[in-house]
Amino acid sequence: MAEYRINARGLQCPGPIMQLFTQMKSAEPGDLVMIEVTDVGFKKDIEAWCRKTKNTLVSLIENDGVITAQVRKG
Amino acid sequence: MRLIILGGVAAGTKAAARARREYPDAEVMILTQDDYVAYAGCGLPYYVGGIISEAQELIVRTPDEFKHENGIDVRTRCQATAIDPSAREVRARDLDTGIEQTYGYDKLILATGALPVLPAIDGIHLKRVATVRGLTDAKKIRVLVDSGKLRHAVVVGGGFIGLEMAENLAHRGLQVSVVEMRDAILPGFDPEIAALAKKALEEHGVGIYTGETVQRVLGNASGEATGVVTTERTLDADLVILSAGIKPNTAIAAAAGVETDARGMILVDEYLRTNLPDIFAVGDCASVRHQMTDLDVYSPMGSTANKTGRLVVANLIEPRETFAGVLGTTIVRLFDVSAARTGLSEEEARAAGHDVETVLVPTPDRAHYYPGNKPIITKLIADRATHRILGAQVFGEGVVDKPIDTLAMGIALGMTAEQLSGMDLAYTPPFASALNSSIVAANVLLNKLDGKLRGVSPCALELDNPNQQLLDVRTEPEYLIAAIPNSINIPLPELRERIDELDPEKSTVVVCKVGRRAYGAALLLRRLGFRDVKILDGGMTAWPYETV
Ligand SMILES: Cc1cc2nc3c(=O)[nH]c(=O)nc-3n(C[C@H](O)[C@H](O)[C@H](O)COP(=O)(O)OP(=O)(O)OC[C@H]3O[C@@H](n4cnc5c(N)ncnc54)[C@H](O)[C@@H]3O)c2cc1C
Repeated sequence: MAEYRINARGLQCPGPIMQLFTQMKSAEPGDLVMIEVTDVGFKKDIEAWCRKTKNTLVSLIENDGVITAQVRKG
Repeated sequence: MRLIILGGVAAGTKAAARARREYPDAEVMILTQDDYVAYAGCGLPYYVGGIISEAQELIVRTPDEFKHENGIDVRTRCQATAIDPSAREVRARDLDTGIEQTYGYDKLILATGALPVLPAIDGIHLKRVATVRGLTDAKKIRVLVDSGKLRHAVVVGGGFIGLEMAENLAHRGLQVSVVEMRDAILPGFDPEIAALAKKALEEHGVGIYTGETVQRVLGNASGEATGVVTTERTLDADLVILSAGIKPNTAIAAAAGVETDARGMILVDEYLRTNLPDIFAVGDCASVRHQMTDLDVYSPMGSTANKTGRLVVANLIEPRETFAGVLGTTIVRLFDVSAARTGLSEEEARAAGHDVETVLVPTPDRAHYYPGNKPIITKLIADRATHRILGAQVFGEGVVDKPIDTLAMGIALGMTAEQLSGMDLAYTPPFASALNSSIVAANVLLNKLDGKLRGVSPCALELDNPNQQLLDVRTEPEYLIAAIPNSINIPLPELRERIDELDPEKSTVVVCKVGRRAYGAALLLRRLGFRDVKILDGGMTAWPYETV
């Protein structure tokens, strides 16, 4: 099972969610994608996106203004 | 000179302290019916919430400190009952002994503040029904909350005091509902901002019921409140907070012939003098001039009470200093969002006869790549003919006090949209964006004033108009996350090739996240001959209603 890391810091929407979307498309079920973002709106977005696309939000943490999400495909 | 001041909270004690400094030989006396003087009324909700742990932290000075350090004679629990302007006397009753006494004055300052408006309904005298005006009120509520027995609270009135109470009671673990009879909470703010505040409060579990009137407070056999009946529902309530507005506390002044208006505020001139010689009025009992309309308004704020209390002292012997008036600047924090306003609201600007243009512009509060940046939304209200900025409102999770204060300064000095756009404001990534949030808002405003762009407020958008198409030009994943019902998604890069999916004869409202992509799309649609194109002001970021 592969792990990917995306540095989407500094990107404003739709940058972060688009990068995640693209990465998830090429990933295999069970793969883990970790993304780092500085756009606070991403927190709500990622929860809704995972719910609607049936991907699993493994963790979502905010530390010193950086939001880190781990998403497992499927 | 003998100076008597009635009321000893914000305005009264500021006046007393400065009078002591300016007139060292004067006899200065404060008469107040309250148990406390010089407390920070604005801190009361946070004392209930426990952020301020003990009541004494809110007391700036005690009567003893006034007496011994300043030589100011403070009489607490001493209620003025009548003023005789011709004899220059105040009658006052000691609330503990009931004894009445007469005090002669040379100068009299009225700083009797305001009283909560009590709704005329059954049950408001039950136990566990409280107003929030003085420290005594807040202590009573704090004891009830500390008992740990309360589960549900209902706050009557969605003004800033009610909402601050709602937040603090929620922090203490209560299930809180706010009932507001008007269509929106946060009076003084425009509907777009009020709707966002409502959404934020609801996300924190506070129930907000607008357009409902409280009809009755229900009680149990021990005379304690247990619920509230509104025009729409019955809500459980072990605690009921009445914060349905305040009114000037001016009955004794009016009885003495001091001029008041219909709502009871004492009318004062720019020197804060009443119509009667040697009687002045400051703080929440008095009128102030609105700087934008030149009208006498009621703007009962701690900021104003402190300023007028201090200023009036200069005018006791002869008129020397004038009070500039207010812009109606206020700010409130509600959980993780804040709302601030200054100048005229859109509604007030229209009522004052202006032809109004507005913008609603989301931006980050500092450089978008700097960790910790948070979104804010700036609303500007301007006059179409003169381009003068008439008012501003800023809302969001980010810093709002800095923009509102700079905007207030500019508005007070007559700033136009062009001047705001060119303002030299501080910039480095941890504090701001290279194009400051207020400057971005001014630029959008200039585009609108130039006719390059037309907008529609989220509060005015019709969702079921068959002659309108709502075009969302964001990317697919963004659209999937949350979209306005009945919108069509064509991402901006695909718009040209998919143009046939749209009807150029219908009116088109374009939406994106903040407005930038929508603006680009609107320009394209207009070039392609679309008849009527608008963008949704504030985009999805400022959309306060339901999404799919
Ligand atoms: C919960 C709460 C939160 C607030 N938050 C803010 C805020 O964030 N920002 C802001 O700008 N403002 C805020 N305010 C408003 C601010 O507290 C008031 O504007 C300020 O207290 C007004 O001061 P004042 O001295 O004019 O009147 P008051 O504070 O009303 O004091 C008047 C005093 O006069 C006494 N008195 C009245 N009649 C008589 C009489 N006949 N004889 C003797 N004494 C008398 C009263 O008992 C009272 O002690 C808040 C108010 C409350 C209640």
